[in-house]
Amino acid sequence: MLSIALPKGRLGDKVYQLFRDHGYPCAAMEAEDDRRLVLRDEASGVQYLLVKPSDVAIYVEHGAADVGVVGKDVLLEGGNDVYELLDLGFGRCNMCVAAPVGFREDLSAPLRVATKYPAIAKRYYAGKSREIEIIKLNGSIELAPILGLSDVIVDIVETGATLRQNHLEVTETILPISARLIANKAAMRFQAAAIQPLLAALQTQTSEGAKA
Amino acid sequence: MEALNQSKKDMLTGSLRSLYQSLGYTRFSMRRFEEYALYLENKRFLKSESVLAFTNPDGKLMALKPDVTLSIVKHAPKERDALEKVYYKESVYRLAPTAREFVEIEQMGVEALGAVDAYTVAEVLRLAIETLRLAGLDHVLDVSHMGFAAGLMDAAGLDAEQQARLFQFIRQKNAHELAAEVARMGIPPQYADKIDLLAGLAGSFPETLRRAEAMVVCPAMAQALQELHTLHAQLTALGLADCLQLDFSMLNDLGYYNGLVFQGYVQGSPRVVLSGGRYDLLMRRFDKQGDAIGFSLYLDELTHVLAEPSQWDADVLALYQPQDDVAALNAAVFALAAGGQRVLAATQAPRDFRARKTLRFDGQSFQEVT
Repeated sequence: MLSIALPKGRLGDKVYQLFRDHGYPCAAMEAEDDRRLVLRDEASGVQYLLVKPSDVAIYVEHGAADVGVVGKDVLLEGGNDVYELLDLGFGRCNMCVAAPVGFREDLSAPLRVATKYPAIAKRYYAGKSREIEIIKLNGSIELAPILGLSDVIVDIVETGATLRQNHLEVTETILPISARLIANKAAMRFQAAAIQPLLAALQTQTSEGAKA
Repeated sequence: MEALNQSKKDMLTGSLRSLYQSLGYTRFSMRRFEEYALYLENKRFLKSESVLAFTNPDGKLMALKPDVTLSIVKHAPKERDALEKVYYKESVYRLAPTAREFVEIEQMGVEALGAVDAYTVAEVLRLAIETLRLAGLDHVLDVSHMGFAAGLMDAAGLDAEQQARLFQFIRQKNAHELAAEVARMGIPPQYADKIDLLAGLAGSFPETLRRAEAMVVCPAMAQALQELHTLHAQLTALGLADCLQLDFSMLNDLGYYNGLVFQGYVQGSPRVVLSGGRYDLLMRRFDKQGDAIGFSLYLDELTHVLAEPSQWDADVLALYQPQDDVAALNAAVFALAAGGQRVLAATQAPRDFRARKTLRFDGQSFQEVT
């Protein structure tokens, strides 16, 4: 039985459809009112675990799930010791620095950065030798510069609509983000017979996606 | 009588000690701490760069040892023809893999230093296999040779910094970002195509070796494969090759390791439990002429998989009255325990206590409670 950790929510739904279309269906995943968090399908030999997106890599790292799908942002922030097998090519967005429209940076003072991603922000600014002050928030990051809590924010930007509505704009793009297939290191040894066909099936999907 | 109160882990360390000693490895004991500078200078050899440091009364910065091998190498003989075979069971202090907190980790391992020849390499590799086997669980030993990837990168003319960047993606089996980085570096296609394959070059020994042979572009790569081929043939002849797999994505630091590298996994444990390799270059850093190979077993990683939660807190709960004769009671309790049972003597059962059976003291001996 291959154990697959999926992020609850929109990304998870999309990932499940992809897995289903490549031979890993699970009837319980499609039932409207099923609120269980562990869903098995004996016939396709899989067990789906629905977990908080930021916890997917933790389940995989500790071997509670053999493989999982998680955003690159979560992987970079968590620094989890897992294999990153495939870029699934969806959930695309960018990790960006955004500031109020017309913002001028004061280089004589540390930059105040509000973010859900302190590790990524620290690494990025350390690479530029810029002194910063991190303000760790858990949501509504866009509010921080408006209220003067921070100078800039570091966050993922999909369309930029939320930024625009809050009079913010992207000033720097740190790196592109997308959904990644990850695997536990020991599972790659003991569950190779189950993981390799899954990887091969998804690889054809992503190479088709790249061509399209 | 069976070793009654020994946990599986204790029995494993006992068996490993006998195994290592039977092949002439002597126990190496060391202090808990070394000078901090030792680890600062060799931080890339360490699994994690964080070291627990403190100042000694002379104002010298010391560290609780995060690694055993550096200390052993420091003590190794200088001469090329000397041979030292040692084993150790030591605690090291590292950051926990998943929490920003220092933990004490128990390691057991062997090192052969000095005149390391083909026999020594095969012996240490066999010891690694036997070590996993003694754990009594399904296991896999992944093997690779640093000369293969390093040879390819050198042939492609990549500098150390570029190699380190590519190594990071190869280790994660991250083929997509590896390919992107290779393309960005503008590596000539005859090398780029082959470097791209390194992340996925893993699997059964003979088949992966065949795939690797098609990638050889320089003598260093051919020599690495030859060495792997020979080792595999030897271990096959001994009937020990079943657990071997090849994985060229397994790469240690090039500044220290050359030659054979290997990592062990056991069923039920999510992380590497055994790690080792050939580290002649570390010896050079300490001005030692000889070569070296060794491995260590992370006993902590085995704690959960070897645990056997007992259904019973004791075999016998031996109940007595406060007014019972102490000498008679003492004799009876010890007589019960001498029979090989776990006995808890008490006036009443502790909370939530589960004993296989309960006996009551009648003034002379213990009787079944009816």
